[in-house]
Amino acid sequence: MNAPLQLNALRVEDLSVWHGQQQLVGGISFAIAAGGVLTLLGESGSGKSLLAQAIMGNLPASLRATGSIFLAGEHSDAADGSRRQDGWGRRIALLPQEPWLALDPTMTVARQVAETYELVSQSAPDQQNESLRQARSQAAASARRALASLGLEAAADKYPCMISGGMAQRVAFLATHAAGAPLMIIDEPTKGLDVDRRGEVLALLQAAQAEGMSLLCITHDVWLARALGGQLAVLQDGALVEQGGAEALLAQPRHAYTRRLLAADPARWPLPEVRLPCAQAAVIVEARELSKSFGEQALFAGVSARIHAGEVVAVSGPSGSGKTSFGNIVLGLLQPDTGQVIRAPDLPRTAFQKIYQDPAAAFAPAIPLRRSLQDLVRLHGLQWQALEALLERMRIAPALLDRLPRQVSGGELQRIALARVLLMKPALIFADEPTSRLDPLTQQEVIALLVEQAREVGSAVLLVTHDADIVRCVADRRLALSPAGQSVQ
Amino acid sequence: MSSLSSSLPLLEQPGPRRWRSSQRAGLALLVLVAGFALLGPLLIPTDPAHQQLARYLETPSLAEPLGYDQLGRSMLARLAHGARLSLSLALLSVLSAAIPGTVIGLLAAWCGGWTERVLAALADAVLALPALLLVLLLAAFAPGGFWPLYVGISLALWVEYFRVVRAASRILLASPQVEASRLLGFGALYIVRRHLLPALLPRLLTLVRFGLAGAVLAMSALGFVGVGLQPPTPELGVMMIELLPYYREAPWLVAAPVLVLFLGLLGLLLLSPQGEAA
Amino acid sequence: MDLNRFLSARGGQRLAAALTPRLLQAVLVALLVGTLCFFMTRMLPGDMAYRIAAGRYGYDMVTTEAALAVRAELGLDRPWFMALSEWWSRLLHLDLGVSQVTSQPVLAEIGHQLGPTLRLSLLAMALSLLVGPTLGVLAGLHPGRWLDRATLALSVGLRALPSFLLGLILVLLFSVQLGALPAAGHGDHGGILLPALTLALGLAAVSCRVARDAMVQVRQSEYFAFALTKGLSPAQALVRHGLRNVAVPVTAYLGVQLVMLVEGVVLVETIFAWPGIGHALVHAIFGRDVPMIQGTALVLGLMFVLFNALVDAACALLDPRGRA
Repeated sequence: MNAPLQLNALRVEDLSVWHGQQQLVGGISFAIAAGGVLTLLGESGSGKSLLAQAIMGNLPASLRATGSIFLAGEHSDAADGSRRQDGWGRRIALLPQEPWLALDPTMTVARQVAETYELVSQSAPDQQNESLRQARSQAAASARRALASLGLEAAADKYPCMISGGMAQRVAFLATHAAGAPLMIIDEPTKGLDVDRRGEVLALLQAAQAEGMSLLCITHDVWLARALGGQLAVLQDGALVEQGGAEALLAQPRHAYTRRLLAADPARWPLPEVRLPCAQAAVIVEARELSKSFGEQALFAGVSARIHAGEVVAVSGPSGSGKTSFGNIVLGLLQPDTGQVIRAPDLPRTAFQKIYQDPAAAFAPAIPLRRSLQDLVRLHGLQWQALEALLERMRIAPALLDRLPRQVSGGELQRIALARVLLMKPALIFADEPTSRLDPLTQQEVIALLVEQAREVGSAVLLVTHDADIVRCVADRRLALSPAGQSVQ
Repeated sequence: MSSLSSSLPLLEQPGPRRWRSSQRAGLALLVLVAGFALLGPLLIPTDPAHQQLARYLETPSLAEPLGYDQLGRSMLARLAHGARLSLSLALLSVLSAAIPGTVIGLLAAWCGGWTERVLAALADAVLALPALLLVLLLAAFAPGGFWPLYVGISLALWVEYFRVVRAASRILLASPQVEASRLLGFGALYIVRRHLLPALLPRLLTLVRFGLAGAVLAMSALGFVGVGLQPPTPELGVMMIELLPYYREAPWLVAAPVLVLFLGLLGLLLLSPQGEAA
Repeated sequence: MDLNRFLSARGGQRLAAALTPRLLQAVLVALLVGTLCFFMTRMLPGDMAYRIAAGRYGYDMVTTEAALAVRAELGLDRPWFMALSEWWSRLLHLDLGVSQVTSQPVLAEIGHQLGPTLRLSLLAMALSLLVGPTLGVLAGLHPGRWLDRATLALSVGLRALPSFLLGLILVLLFSVQLGALPAAGHGDHGGILLPALTLALGLAAVSCRVARDAMVQVRQSEYFAFALTKGLSPAQALVRHGLRNVAVPVTAYLGVQLVMLVEGVVLVETIFAWPGIGHALVHAIFGRDVPMIQGTALVLGLMFVLFNALVDAACALLDPRGRA
């Protein structure tokens, strides 16, 4: 950059996003110093994505922005998106939320990165004298060097469908970084990722920062905000409630919302009071020497465990280690390759229930929730009032039941699913990553309800999660799966 | 949170979606043609086979809005009977194809294993040939007959229902919603009723539309080239080829069955919910 | 499109795996057509053997011995399953017999007719691919504007006009009114234009909308948006990312269009009296000429399978997702 160091990489003054006369995001002002980091922390619906789109100049046609945006000192009116569009790639870069979808499925990885070098990079105008072929071969070489620098040489000639999500994220990063934009906006980089992958993303962002790039990071992940450091701004319902240095803010939050957000981080959850060991309780299900492979890949082998009534067992392991398959085998939905599952003999078939990662997928999509629940009540000859009482404890408004599953938010739908399952008075609930798609505040609520209600009816819980903090706070025991075998804590 | 519920306020009402103007136009056309086909033969007293050679190619009049054809038969009566013939055969074939096709598709997806594989192989065998070719071959058995036409069209259509129902059902049966219902204790009939059929219904309706169009087309195409139903049967394609030589003298005679066929097919096409291409 | 990568490393293995379903389909076609025609000979009214003998020697010259000889030859006196296996074996040896109408070997007749049919179908396909996807992509670039609406209206209108109607209208329009193009016959090159146009218009009507829908989807896709945010200009993003991704569903849809093509060929050849295989099939059905029916249906069916295999190969070249 040729600009003097005092110029901010990005400065935003009184930025608002409007839908007609309704203000969705209002009066945002902040600045990012050259080479600095700003994390916009907020939940879904707080308007952080809209903010990013407004800065890029990429708002959907029905919305408009007002205010001023200064990119490295250059002023542009927020409403004038096309001015900033000219700078896409060269002055401002965007790392999209779903990197796997952002890559052209019919073009190799190397070519997609080389493309940016060839067509967009700042040295392109200087190459007007060189022939096209020279420019292309230079770009290809630069692309390969960039890929190698992130450990992706092996993937260079592959297509996006053949590489993993983490690799796709790095490729997308390189493709958008190639033009050397000094400011990069990163949209929810750790959404739905487990601990190992989150570390990779952090390393990527820190490396970028080390090169002198300024970062605007949009996320709901408190862990990432803490790790990135720099400046932090908290967004709630379209307004900036607090901003300042990340470290100071996270240690001493002033605003009530920030405090709630931080408290929802599982790392902060209170440890449970000491519970009596459940080994004396009846055994619900026993698994002996279970093993399963998926095609050629062995998922787990030689796993044995006993689950007692009322205990919470956490199943953890890296992604792809077959946690879902293990639970399905215990439930009887899947057959193991070897070993057997012995269930307590006097239990009805419906004593084993499951909570799904995507709550909307567990309901029939075309009928209102009330009707599916009524079908269930009628099938088993139960009392509708029992269900109503459960729903009330889940704090679900009865009016929500008249909606279709897709019209209800994830957190509430998961609570309705929980009520549905509890109605069956299950002996074992297999909860397959029940909160990984939910916001942190909702997550805490759902996990707490799950454990509390299950303990009340004496049902065991087999909880699949990748979050070690949740395991620590909630589980009585831990079952770690890996291809080599298992370990029980 | 400001409100009790984290769900967004409801913008749309759950219920059937409103129809687009093109769909309404399509429905109107279809009602017109179907009405003509069903009510026409009842309301028009003239016998379509009654020849009055003196009235050779008589121009339309108030009494006889479409005039008379080359054999002195009432064109309007022939048209109405022809339309009814096409429509009834099309409906019959589609029903004969849809019901068994759907049931067998559901069975195949549910049972899996060898049952499914055998049925799928059978379907592939029928699909090896383009449908018209199959119908032609079957028509060759008894050219001019009604049965080969009906069997051929039904056979060709049946496979489509089987394939679509089986493919969609396989995916649905492996989905979390069906798994959850199974765990909750629901049986096969409930799963078919609440999970499979609602998801299949739009696709089945599309198939019915295309099946009707295809059946009408096949019948008139074969009639036109002379391999389907034979004169003097009043069939739209047969009428077209019969009246083609008189194009110069009495263009309205050829135009009538063409128009009826075109409007019927157009109505069926316009009914599609998204104006989809296929 | 990397031909080298496709053909090299385990290319032979992959090619075989991709083509096996089509080979199976070809066998199925042969079995289906052969079996149906076999039963046709058994079920058609009138003494089959007598007519075949008459076809060979002429109606005046035929004798009962000749008819009996033909009967034995055709195996009409034996139980059907034995005769069926003989029929199949003859089919496998490509012994398609002799036409009962012209007394010429079926293979020879078809040889004459294959050329015109191939020329017609290839020209029709080429015309439709030239016009259809091009208009579709242009319409998809500006959805909702006049080109989009016009192509939609034209497409729906054309699809409500089956090929024989369309051919009819074109003939009436061009030859009768304007005296411009010859309505039938194969003599001059003008003769191929009308039938090819008839087929092409019907095919283009569908491929236009498929291309348009694909274009709209591509423009709304994440990877297209990413290409723009990377810094590519809209034109560059379109050429480098848009077109290839549009080609994938359009090529896949060609498989469905092949059904329309083969069915259309039969009808269009008959209307325009184009001396191809479709025309021969219809005539054979008129004349109850079972060997010709079998031969023409077989060739048409196999042509269908071959074109489908080519489309499969094209799809595999374009879309790497199937290769993983």
